[in-house]
Amino acid sequence: MEVAEFANRQVNSMKYLLSNDYLALLTRTFVGLLFLVVSLEKIVEPAAFAQSIANYKIISPPLTIILATVLPWLELLCGFCILFGVFVRGSSLLLSAMLVAFTAGIISALLRGLDIACGCFTQDPTVGKIGWMKVVQNVTLLALTVFMYYSSSVRFSMEHYLRNRTAG
Amino acid sequence: MSRFRTALRESGMLLLAATVLGFIYTAAMEKGIFVTRQPTSTSSLLSSANAPVMVARDQAKAYFDGGNALFVDSRHEFDYRLGHIKGAINLPLNEYSLKKGVLAQLPKDKLIIIYCDGAECNSSIELSARLFADGFLNVKIFFGGWNEWRSQNLPTDKSTP
Repeated sequence: MEVAEFANRQVNSMKYLLSNDYLALLTRTFVGLLFLVVSLEKIVEPAAFAQSIANYKIISPPLTIILATVLPWLELLCGFCILFGVFVRGSSLLLSAMLVAFTAGIISALLRGLDIACGCFTQDPTVGKIGWMKVVQNVTLLALTVFMYYSSSVRFSMEHYLRNRTAG
Repeated sequence: MSRFRTALRESGMLLLAATVLGFIYTAAMEKGIFVTRQPTSTSSLLSSANAPVMVARDQAKAYFDGGNALFVDSRHEFDYRLGHIKGAINLPLNEYSLKKGVLAQLPKDKLIIIYCDGAECNSSIELSARLFADGFLNVKIFFGGWNEWRSQNLPTDKSTP
């Protein structure tokens, strides 16, 4: 009986967290702004970003240049959507997938002993070397995007606002 | 499950939008993929100002006699032991990241001549691109390589590395 009660409490607090509007807003603002900001330099310098990707020595050059063209825009769009609350589920899913891929790349590079810049926040090759701290950082971000995916909060979102207006 | 389907549909739309925007923007600004000089490929490395250039046998011989050049053998260690250009060090392409420490002490403008067997190998070109990428500014490729050097009875050595 006690176990069931404990489990019940856990589920309830989980539900509370997932439905909390303010927590969702806070997370969305933070993650949205973060991806908006970091995408800008990559958009302006796709060649530098391509070099950053190439440094990982995982992906072949033609694919690298395509990724360098598309990925920054994907970050920008997802950041924008998350910030304003449009397509939150889709954006969270995409960002989660990207974070998983980035983290896998970083871990693989670390295991191969590559001494390279992350290319995550800045394209300057002399700063932001990859390290296990980067992995922790990414996993934390991943937790936030997964939270947004499961969050049931719709208040403070553009989508919710528009739907209410058209309905009313 | 419908949540996941919605998310997938939204992701698809975002992905499509990002692809279209990305290509339109880079094309309009003539950046990244739409620049003739791509920083990731070997050929572009070879087109920049200090990039590795090919030298012919006479030139390589002149550098050899000058005594300032470091000859780097990009073949496997086995081939290197059987015979190499006198004074050359061995730095196999496939062990580059492992063994590049041997170059750590060199100044970045050191004249480095890279060679492999000759026309049938391109490890010298690949290695030169790696060295250039790592900041060496005076790298040259002796494309005639070991075969041409040996055929002219120029100074060789058999010592182990």
